Amino acid sequence: MSQIFHEIEKKIINSLQKKLEQTPEQLSESTELSIDQIRRGIEWLRLKGLAQVNESSKVTISLGKNGIDAFKNGLPERKLMELIKDTPKTFDDVRTMLSGVGFNAAIANAKKNGWIKIDKTDSGTKISTKEKPVETPEEKLILFIGEGTISEKQIENKLALKFLLERPDYLIQSTQKIKIITLTEKASQIDTTLSDSGAIDVEADAALVYAARTHPLKDTIDEIREIFVKLGFSEIQGALTQSSFWNFDALFTPQDHPARELQDTFYIENVKSENHASSTQIKEVSKSHSQNWHYDWKLSESQKMVLRTHTTCATIRYLAEQKPDQARIFSLGRVFRNEKVSYKHLVEFNQIEGIVIGNNTTLRDLMGIQKEFYKQLGLTKIKFWPTFFPYTEPSLQTMVYNEKLGKWIELFGMGIFRSEVTKPLGIDKPVLAWGGGIERIAMLKYELDDVREFYNNNLNWLRSV
Amino acid sequence: MPVVELNINRIRKLVTGKTTRKQIIETLPFLGLDIEHEDGDKIRVEYSPNRPDYSTEFGISLGLQGLLRIKKGIQKINIKKKGKSIIKVDSSVTKIRPYVTGVLAKNGTLDSDDIQQLMWMQEDLHDGIGRKRKKSSIGLHDADKISFPLTYTTTSREHKFVPLNNNTEQTINEILSSTDQGQNYEWVIENAKNVPIIIDSEKNTISFPPIINSALTTVTPKTKNILVEVTGIDKDSVEDALSIVISTLQMAGFEFEELKISGNKNSTPQLKSRHIDYDTKFTSEILGIEMSPSNMITSLKKCRLDATIAGKKIKCIIPRYRFDIFGPMDLVEEIALGYGIENLEPKLSPSITIGEKNDVTVKTNIITKTAVGLGLLEVLNSSLTSKKILYELTKRNSSEMISVLDSKSQEHTILRDSLLSGLLENLSKNIHESYPQKLFETGVVFSKGKPIRESINLAVIIAHKDTNFSEIKSILQSILRTQFKIDCKTKTSSNNQALFVKGRNADIYINNEKIGHIGEIHTEILDNFRIRTSVVGFEINLSGLIFD
Repeated sequence: MSQIFHEIEKKIINSLQKKLEQTPEQLSESTELSIDQIRRGIEWLRLKGLAQVNESSKVTISLGKNGIDAFKNGLPERKLMELIKDTPKTFDDVRTMLSGVGFNAAIANAKKNGWIKIDKTDSGTKISTKEKPVETPEEKLILFIGEGTISEKQIENKLALKFLLERPDYLIQSTQKIKIITLTEKASQIDTTLSDSGAIDVEADAALVYAARTHPLKDTIDEIREIFVKLGFSEIQGALTQSSFWNFDALFTPQDHPARELQDTFYIENVKSENHASSTQIKEVSKSHSQNWHYDWKLSESQKMVLRTHTTCATIRYLAEQKPDQARIFSLGRVFRNEKVSYKHLVEFNQIEGIVIGNNTTLRDLMGIQKEFYKQLGLTKIKFWPTFFPYTEPSLQTMVYNEKLGKWIELFGMGIFRSEVTKPLGIDKPVLAWGGGIERIAMLKYELDDVREFYNNNLNWLRSV
Repeated sequence: MPVVELNINRIRKLVTGKTTRKQIIETLPFLGLDIEHEDGDKIRVEYSPNRPDYSTEFGISLGLQGLLRIKKGIQKINIKKKGKSIIKVDSSVTKIRPYVTGVLAKNGTLDSDDIQQLMWMQEDLHDGIGRKRKKSSIGLHDADKISFPLTYTTTSREHKFVPLNNNTEQTINEILSSTDQGQNYEWVIENAKNVPIIIDSEKNTISFPPIINSALTTVTPKTKNILVEVTGIDKDSVEDALSIVISTLQMAGFEFEELKISGNKNSTPQLKSRHIDYDTKFTSEILGIEMSPSNMITSLKKCRLDATIAGKKIKCIIPRYRFDIFGPMDLVEEIALGYGIENLEPKLSPSITIGEKNDVTVKTNIITKTAVGLGLLEVLNSSLTSKKILYELTKRNSSEMISVLDSKSQEHTILRDSLLSGLLENLSKNIHESYPQKLFETGVVFSKGKPIRESINLAVIIAHKDTNFSEIKSILQSILRTQFKIDCKTKTSSNNQALFVKGRNADIYINNEKIGHIGEIHTEILDNFRIRTSVVGFEINLSGLIFD
């Protein structure tokens, strides 16, 4: 197995191969790496299945304040024996020489050890040596511990330990959680010197970075725009805010038509449009409405500003103003509907609309353009059904078969502008019009069920789609 | 688009002949009907609002008969003239609802499904050509419960009768306040002191148009003879509605007897068909197919019209209920439908024009490319946003706010005048995603002008813990220098905006003209959007800078 290791990993493996079980602190010492580097290295090795971490607790013993004093100067009872080695001494003498707690402990323990005898005399109670004091197990234990910290397990004489623990401040007993690092069998075989010094772990995961990109819906919009251009259409721009005149009246939508109601269309508060059309245009449109729809057309109604409900207001205005003999024109952009937002409805979406004026403007030509458009999009199974639009006649809609959904889906609509629309605006040639919503096509492309996703700007989606 | 529910078996019976379920389902779309839902024998279809004759199984079957070649030409309707029944019109209705018309439909039978279909038709006609019952509204009554002659007049609001689906007498005022119909349609009669009423010779109330009929004349499966009355404020709309009802009831098996209408502006309905002279050259000019006049006639007849050759033209007869037909263009469509849309071969003619993108599109795309090259991710926000996001959370001045009326969505009420607010909202919704987050948007913003000024802005926002003014200024300079070779200057802002940190924001100038602002976003604003990292951004106006 040739595996690439980080410098930290190599040092840890080497150290553990020499000494099988080590704590992180020990490893830090033996490898001269910081404790943080050791912790990181252990984690990497553990994930690779090369190291094991066993947690256990350990009881340690070290000398307390009195223990250290005893280590240096002997236990109180030993000090007492030194004092009375040559001559017996009175209680008072000894008490002065062995100040404080040491005195009581010295008498009690020396007596318990059978080293002294106490006699009451006229000149006071005297303490004299009864037996030669030999080294006790407690004294041996204190010397064994010394100034270090030892594991409780190392102490053999448990009774001596018990006695010393009972005496105040002689021993410090503490419990520690410790991590013991060992190598797995696999790792104990590794020869870290074998790996190439310049190599890195090319199999390891790298951090994720996200490419900057254009919005997926914008990509679809651009794709569709390219197809229109390829088919010979030139792009025109139109404002998103429009007078009702261009959005509705010029398109033969009667002023009491349900589509014009507040509940379908966004009207802009306190804004009135002026000078949006010539007096002839207004007069002729008014006449067309009164004659065909039999009602009193009102100028004020046509001056109300709306957020355009379709891109047709841009194309019809272009035709009315430019009156080209021959042209292929398209308009692309946002349109608005006052609807409840849902998985299939947005208040604001993109629409494209193309028009053809001039020669070759029969319904069959219009169908031919559609067919080619869908072919460019990669959709070949299409058919046409009749439909209704207020400003075109005849009107058709394209149905496109979606293999994934296993059904026909309604896409773009098309038709020939009614003469009631074109004549009042001085357009005397047939005008083909076709178009529809872009989000629908983008939804098919990105396999989305919810159109709102395009405007949620969810980075997780935008970064991954 | 209005919707109608159909039962395939009932349709097959009405269409007659040996039609299969499959034939019917395949033919429906060629009448312009969109199948919305299919569930066993039940099918829901959407019909176009210009064809209210398709609001029932009866009307749709009439159309199907034509396309399936079972019956062609105009539907025969015989109305027995010189009927004895009369509606007298009192002049008091002139100011409130002047017109009334009607007919007697006799010797028919209706089952409960038929009645349901007629009720749906009535509602669709009320909403569509009736403009929510204002222009016209229809009443269907059991004629055998009525003593003729009828009087169409007005009455006070204390007038009492038992309204449809009720057992007790109620006054006009009670009906207006307690019934659904009263609440929904009271607006049509507004505050009129006296309201329209139809009363028979026994002084029984027949109807309170356009609100509700009386319970007395309820149409049930036992009804043999029906009185159809239509009232309204528009004579055409009233007769249009009547013509649809007559065509429908004819298909349902009724015979008709004329109803004499007299008095004040009203007259007995004529229900005459009309004719349009159709120039045969339209067919090739508009449809792009060569067709003999006799084939055109056959096609028109398949659409339940009549036609005869008259010299170089075709004289086309249009029944009263086809008021959607205005002129030759509508007849071209009928010919196409009769000929069969599926038989029209698409034809791709070469374009003689060369397509071009708009200058604004081209240049905005250049900006977009540069932005992506600089590591920025594109987002798209709505132009319609909320006051909260646009002004409140960003502490921006809302005095020039542009609102729309009656939005159905709380989140879409104000037209944006800035893109940065939207970008902050985007960061706010993505606080759990990894940083750095670098976003940009190009889009239309709106401001008050003559009447509204629209321009295209670019905004960039960067969020990560170490970001600062220098980082965003580098992006700003780079975006304008790449391709456009524009050098911009940033000048200490004279009026400090709450959006930015004081001393760390600037106005952006090109040749002494201010085009935007740039800076570190104020922590208070970041708190409002619950963003817990540093954010910097800028916004500039591209209109007038790189395009007009």
